Amino acid sequence: MSALNWISSKLFAGDTVYARHTYGGIRPQSFKQHSLRSRIMSTPIPAQLTIPVGAADGGTITQLVAVGEQVLKYQKLASIQLNRDGCSEVFAHAPTSGVIAEIKSARVADHRIQQQLCLLLTTDGHDDALVVEPSYDPVNLNSAEIVDIIREAGIIGMGGAGFPSADKLDSAFNSAIDILIINATECEPYITADESLIRERAKKTVLGAELLQRACSATRCVFAIEESKRDAIEALTKALQADTEVASSCELVIIPTKYPAGSENLLIHCVTGIEVPSGEYPAQSGVLMLNSGTAYAVCEAVVQGKPCISRITTLCGETLQTPKNFEVLIGTSANFLFDLCGIDNSVAHRSIVGGPLMGRELNADDAVIYKTTNCLIAAGPADIPMPAEERACIRCGFCADVCPVRLLPQQLLAFSKSSDTDALVEHGLFDCIECGACDYVCPSHIALVSTYKDSKACIEARQQEVDRSAYWQQRFQYRQYRLKKDKDQSLARKSANKTPAPKLEKKATPAPLPNGQDFFSKEKASAEIAAAVARVKARREAKTRVNGESHAAPKDDPK
Amino acid sequence: MNTLRPGAPFQHSGKDVAQLMQTLLYALLPGIFCSLWFFGYGILINIVLAILFALFAEAVVLRLRGKHIFLHLSDKSVLVTAVLFAVAIPPGSPWWLTAIGIVFAVVIAKHLYGGLGQNPFNPAMCGYAMLLLAFPLEMTSWHVPGEVLNGPLTVDSLGIPTTTTERQLISPLSWTAFQQSALLAFPFAVSNTVQLQEFIDGLVLATPLIEFKMAGHSALLAARDSGASLFARGSETAWEIINIGYLLGGLFLLYKRIISWHIPLAIIATVLAVSALMYAPGSVAVYGTPYLHLFGSATMIGAFFIATDPVSAATTKSGKIIYGIIIGVSIYAIRVWGSYLDSIAFAVLFGNFCAPVLDQYCRPRIFGHGLRRHSRPAVISERPAKP
Amino acid sequence: MLPLISHWLIPLLFSLSLLTVIVLLLLKIGHHFQAQGKSQSSLLSQINRALPQTQCGQCGHPGCLPYARAISLGEASNKCPPGGKQTIVELAKILHEPVRDLDPAHGEFRDFSVAVIREDECIGCTKCIQACPVDAILGGPKLMHTVIESECTGCDLCVEPCPVDCIDMLSSSDSGFLADTAFSSGNLISAGVQP
Repeated sequence: MSALNWISSKLFAGDTVYARHTYGGIRPQSFKQHSLRSRIMSTPIPAQLTIPVGAADGGTITQLVAVGEQVLKYQKLASIQLNRDGCSEVFAHAPTSGVIAEIKSARVADHRIQQQLCLLLTTDGHDDALVVEPSYDPVNLNSAEIVDIIREAGIIGMGGAGFPSADKLDSAFNSAIDILIINATECEPYITADESLIRERAKKTVLGAELLQRACSATRCVFAIEESKRDAIEALTKALQADTEVASSCELVIIPTKYPAGSENLLIHCVTGIEVPSGEYPAQSGVLMLNSGTAYAVCEAVVQGKPCISRITTLCGETLQTPKNFEVLIGTSANFLFDLCGIDNSVAHRSIVGGPLMGRELNADDAVIYKTTNCLIAAGPADIPMPAEERACIRCGFCADVCPVRLLPQQLLAFSKSSDTDALVEHGLFDCIECGACDYVCPSHIALVSTYKDSKACIEARQQEVDRSAYWQQRFQYRQYRLKKDKDQSLARKSANKTPAPKLEKKATPAPLPNGQDFFSKEKASAEIAAAVARVKARREAKTRVNGESHAAPKDDPK
Repeated sequence: MNTLRPGAPFQHSGKDVAQLMQTLLYALLPGIFCSLWFFGYGILINIVLAILFALFAEAVVLRLRGKHIFLHLSDKSVLVTAVLFAVAIPPGSPWWLTAIGIVFAVVIAKHLYGGLGQNPFNPAMCGYAMLLLAFPLEMTSWHVPGEVLNGPLTVDSLGIPTTTTERQLISPLSWTAFQQSALLAFPFAVSNTVQLQEFIDGLVLATPLIEFKMAGHSALLAARDSGASLFARGSETAWEIINIGYLLGGLFLLYKRIISWHIPLAIIATVLAVSALMYAPGSVAVYGTPYLHLFGSATMIGAFFIATDPVSAATTKSGKIIYGIIIGVSIYAIRVWGSYLDSIAFAVLFGNFCAPVLDQYCRPRIFGHGLRRHSRPAVISERPAKP
Repeated sequence: MLPLISHWLIPLLFSLSLLTVIVLLLLKIGHHFQAQGKSQSSLLSQINRALPQTQCGQCGHPGCLPYARAISLGEASNKCPPGGKQTIVELAKILHEPVRDLDPAHGEFRDFSVAVIREDECIGCTKCIQACPVDAILGGPKLMHTVIESECTGCDLCVEPCPVDCIDMLSSSDSGFLADTAFSSGNLISAGVQP
């Protein structure tokens, strides 16, 4: 079918370009039609918002407001310095006005992050906003200005990885970017956030893409969208042809409907033919990829001056009566949204964040929407059937046929079971993108991806241990060397015996403190030492007393 | 029993091992039916006996290994092993032959190596090869229902009179044929052993390849030349029809995407190519036509059903092709230069030997690895100054 | 089909090509093993690498390298409690020995922990500084000392010399900093996170 499309596109030389086919992949049932029935809705302001301000891999959080402080919509709440390579700070903004009630750790609806530090905002319902300055002339902004606005707006990758977009654009300055790909693929079942966004707000998304193109100085800008999203393609084509504020230089590439077509490196290969070498960033190959949701957020930030305080999230699943897409404030809890969609509480559901193939199960419904939460599924038994009992691997190779990065999952499974680290690394365990296609087709129902995740974690932990002990060994050896050197020196001095060793202790005479107190007063120090010794003695005695009392026949202290 | 998945993915395609095995069994039906049509009830008795003994052996071993018996029996892999084994051994084999072979296959070739998924060799072919080595006579006599008649007395050139026995075929699906097959499978039902031996001897029929190798020309081809109907119940055309039956089953498996095309195509192409190159009509050496090699013996069932057993085969695409070539060459070599004519079993076992090495060295290039380094000019775009 | 090709030539060609394939495979395997052999270093450094390098001396040797040397000369390899079961298994693999249990005379397995000085109780005697095998304690005479957590090997050697018992060994589960609990969970899986 797509081959026909390709031929017809070549023959009739239309505007749309069809991308090349990629290796592997699966075509699961999409379930997208349910949430696409309605338009994007905004939610009422919930009574409480739990705004995540933490970061997945640690990092430093600078609080910009105090507990009990009244905040306005768009006000900066915290800046987070991430612990990742090349990351600068990310800002969290207040989605509405209210009072900061508490700082606590809360569950976050994200693929990877489970718990984060959050600011609890009790909303007042007035929605009083700071005055934001719309940019009246977005056409003439230069790239540094755009990147700065993006950074101030706290925009991170809306597709799920959550890398700060400003830093991604910054990293592009070190290598010339030929092509900027706006990823609107959304290949996972159920998720329709990007599709509905483009369907309804294509113009703004295109504008955002053009601003991003300017920001990274890319020569081309390409929208990559799946063949099956007809409405979105139509809207996008219109938006690209219409007279926008800037002359549109974006192109549209239709890619075959296949999971996982939207994975970063695979999509780059599909669109450009460039295979990003393993372990390198796409920017090093001259490609940059950003999500279409990010492009929309960039447009809002640059053109309207609004920071990233909301996102479009798909609410779906069998137990919801009206699955739909919401424009939801960051920090809204999943429960609130489920109730808005009319959740059927008589049926037990499992809530999943992200899609059913790469998502994560939330163990509680109080998790809050983060900037990366693209989909929440309240899955009933028809969405997620009970998995069949795991059987032995028969090496049928179906998994290898669908693996988009051409790994051999059946071999990796065997090596994982025997903990053969070398073979695992050699067979490309760390190239696994954890898309779950192998699990999906496995006739033995083996939880392959979970096994690989465990193996990766084990190998990484082991590597950390090895690095640590090498470091310890180095420090130990240095100490041995230092001690030996000291000893040799003192021996040399003794044998020379002519020049007496200079009195090192006298060298450092501390300057008296400005307020007149002697910091190193001998009396004070000896008093402190005596106090400390007394304290220890007292504690020891107390301990022996307790011990003595607990025994049936107390003995005298031998001392 | 069922546990929740530890993590993503939560969806599944619904494919199942048991379902695959069941489809495989369905795909064997055309071939089995052809066999039944031409050679009588022997194959059915083989299948029933093999399944019974296999299930029993599997259940006992699973019990001994402390495994969940019904979970492991329900994957139906043991049924596939039993049916493939039963199809491979000659119809009309005595019950003990079937029992020894299938118990060896299940217990030693499969479970002693760790059960399903762990066995390095195809269990059915291990059982077959063991029987071929241990009971060569029983394993090379192919019984076809028929009546033994005494032929006319002839006097040869030395003047010694001999009586040749002539075999008259009866309908393989008749009640008499069933009685004969049952008698062959359960020889203890007959008291007079001498009579039985005569009876058995009279019903021996060789496979076309044996006939060919012994007689120097193919009865098969002769039958075709004489214009015999394809569906006449004679051994002359039986083999090619049976092979076509298995070929159809194999194509069905390909259509269902249960097996990949790599192994069968590699085997068939190799056998075809080698036999075509070697065949020289009028030459002194006897190599047989490509047609005979493809349809005269068990090539099709070997290529589509036995060599494709995923557990013991090579698992990568290029590995599968090399694996198929190795098996194809071995099939031909063992038939022509070796002393066994039914060479599928040994060829497949030889392929199994090679499979681990093929898996190690015939891996596909991982995405993003082994790329030729394209040297990109290190252009550093001048970042515009902040306003 | 090709009657003119003599029947000795073709088997010869076939066997030659098969032989070539086999030889090529063997060469590749040989290369593989050679590469493995190169990466393997001497027994002593292998043993040393398997040891945890805490330099705790619980084995009765002053540091891990001396113990590695002793093992290479035939001493028992089950005297290293901080390495855990893994070290014993690894050493047994290197030495081609059966895996033994930990020698109870040299201590028992416990979780990795770091030394933490209760700073208000420290009298600044520098005894722990002298005891520390990896120079992980910072401080001067009569000044408060502190342990650099990232450098500490958890060897326990500083606990004994302290005259005022102000050093605690805390495992990671004991030190309940809010930040740690908030971020430690679920951050190991980071595939696909790229700028």
